[in-house]
Amino acid sequence: MAKELLASCRDGSSIILDPRTKLAVLITISIFILGGSYEGIMQYYIIILAFIPLILLLSSGKRKASVIYIVIFGGSLCLELFILSMLPSPVNYIAVTITGILLRFAPGIVMGYLLVTDTTVSEFMDAMDKLHMPRFITMPMSVMFRFFPTVAEEWSCIGDAMKMRGIGLGYRRAGHILEYRLVPMMICSVRIGEELSAAALTRGLGGPIKRTNVCDIGFHIQDIFILFVCAGAYVAQIYVLITRG
Amino acid sequence: MIECKKLSFSYLAGGGKKKYETIKNVSCRIKEGSFVLLCGVSGCGKTTLTRIFNGLIPHYHEGKLEGDAYIEGKNTKRLSLFDISLKVGSVFQNPRSQFFNVDTTSEVAFGPENHGMSESKIKQRVQQVCSQLDIEDLMDRSIFSLSGGEKQKIACGSAAAIDPDIYVLDEPSSNLDSCAVSDLRRLLEILKSCGKTVIISEHRLYYLADLIDRVIYMKDGKIEGDYTAQEFKAMPESQREVMGLRPLDLDVLKDTEHGIKAEAFSRWVISDMTFSYKYRPGILQIGKSILPAGKVTAVIGDNGAGKSTFSRCLCGLEKRCRGTVEYDGHVYSAKERLNICYMVMQDVNHQLFTENVEEEILLSMKNKNKKQIERLLEDMDLTELSECHPMGLSGGQKQRVAIASAIASEKPLIIFDEPTSGLDLFHMRKVANVVNEIADQGRTVLVVTHDPEFILRCCDHVIHLSAGRVYESYPLRDRRDRIRLLDFFMLK
Repeated sequence: MAKELLASCRDGSSIILDPRTKLAVLITISIFILGGSYEGIMQYYIIILAFIPLILLLSSGKRKASVIYIVIFGGSLCLELFILSMLPSPVNYIAVTITGILLRFAPGIVMGYLLVTDTTVSEFMDAMDKLHMPRFITMPMSVMFRFFPTVAEEWSCIGDAMKMRGIGLGYRRAGHILEYRLVPMMICSVRIGEELSAAALTRGLGGPIKRTNVCDIGFHIQDIFILFVCAGAYVAQIYVLITRG
Repeated sequence: MIECKKLSFSYLAGGGKKKYETIKNVSCRIKEGSFVLLCGVSGCGKTTLTRIFNGLIPHYHEGKLEGDAYIEGKNTKRLSLFDISLKVGSVFQNPRSQFFNVDTTSEVAFGPENHGMSESKIKQRVQQVCSQLDIEDLMDRSIFSLSGGEKQKIACGSAAAIDPDIYVLDEPSSNLDSCAVSDLRRLLEILKSCGKTVIISEHRLYYLADLIDRVIYMKDGKIEGDYTAQEFKAMPESQREVMGLRPLDLDVLKDTEHGIKAEAFSRWVISDMTFSYKYRPGILQIGKSILPAGKVTAVIGDNGAGKSTFSRCLCGLEKRCRGTVEYDGHVYSAKERLNICYMVMQDVNHQLFTENVEEEILLSMKNKNKKQIERLLEDMDLTELSECHPMGLSGGQKQRVAIASAIASEKPLIIFDEPTSGLDLFHMRKVANVVNEIADQGRTVLVVTHDPEFILRCCDHVIHLSAGRVYESYPLRDRRDRIRLLDFFMLK
């Protein structure tokens, strides 16, 4: 079982960023690449922003993912800049839609993926604490992160059981397929949730004392650099707005 | 010290209308530093008693509690779970659902974090626990990459990090292989030598024989016997058998025999089966292996030897598995094997889909036949339950429903994955009888198991896997074969 949402351990080679920095990058990318208007210098600045997830991907040794990312983002950027205007109109219409979606979504998705796979649960909890998120939000969230891999495991076990009984595509009572999967799923999830909570309670979770945290997160030189790059995007956008009048 | 005074507890079910009593009028006193074994058949109230000791009753599980329990002189009703967690550490049965973190170090640090220990102190404490319990090599690992035995070690470490004086373990060995059981035993030995009080509820007794100071035997919610270690060990094996307990020493199993099945009329030939894991190193490589048809074959091996993978490949559940399986002159591909194999899973909750037991069995049947269903329900002792929702049944009943569906499917190869983990003697024997009957009907059965007694009660052939390969393969005919099998299960 290697599907995990929040990472459990890391190899020392990657650039370690504070989860808050990653969150800031994610927000910045969403605002300017996903939702931006690409006016003036912004159309060049987004390229700089798009480099951040690439650097992080490369540093954590995900070469294949990096190449795919370069192809998708770089490719659709080139298309949009140089080729689209030369295409005949019906093809152009479809191409604009596709490249637009790829261009705008790719960096955000990659960054989101990095945020959840490259952050440990403890780091996440600590970061949330430092952002003064209330406990009643962060606690259930951390349980949820813990819960996903387990639920995925259950899901695939039930899928196996269904395959063995010939329930699947082409099964004559198609209406029941969802029921057959969801009922055991829910019952197993409830049971696991109960056992998990019981185990956590016997380890003193939810006590009246303020919880401490062993991982020490904090801003380092790489965080400051990346935060500067992000801040630059906001400055550039404001500049664009002012000069437009 | 722990003291119980006239404790009774009933769980509420059916919206508080129905209640069933699990322990009745239990009084006992457990001395500091003693190692106490709670034993008895399933449903005797062992688990309930452990839940009272760790405070989950009355603070987490709902029900009606009468009488009082005291931990170090304080009534558990007046302590919060948080207070109790400082004094009592718990380890549970299911390794899949007792971890809150996804990495081992955070998991061990989890308790101290909850208790607000300072960072430097926590780090020191984690170090200390790891060296004390000898689990340093497991640190900084993903929980999901650990084997069942390693998970239980981390669970002990996590409990020990708070440094409680009392440890309560509820069937910790249920999912463990013989190697992991030896590891667990060593760990318990360390706790005992540190002067901790250990209360362990368990079906497998053989690994605890040298550790116990006292044995509490429960039956129908009452304490029926309270023995010192000497008294318990002096008891003849036959008496423990009557009590429904597993043997204290595996040696006595050497003479376990079971009826000889008809000579195999044909066989399943597995050739060149290979499979490589996606997320972890190692491969499964079965050059050639034979399952005699109409017989029961056991697959044994340590956790991670590839037993489950082997059974999944055989079923056709692993698409990337290469190799062939030949039976009755026909060579089956992985996809075709899905139609001729049926696996009864370890957690049968995954394979019960319908609204009642009868429908569940009907779902597997190709040719619906009312008479056949009735007979099957009767054979499996399910007639009275035919209208019940499968998920509302007890664990053993659910398993019988799953087995009935397997039989109803009329597939020639039936695979059991750990059918007896956590079963007491009676229930284990019941399952063994059912497996024997299935084989007598001419079907081939494969059992993946860690239970030597179960193997001796129903299996005719053993395949021993090690590191993804067939280490050895032998029939179980006489005493010598049985000794060979038991050697694998002995404590190392």
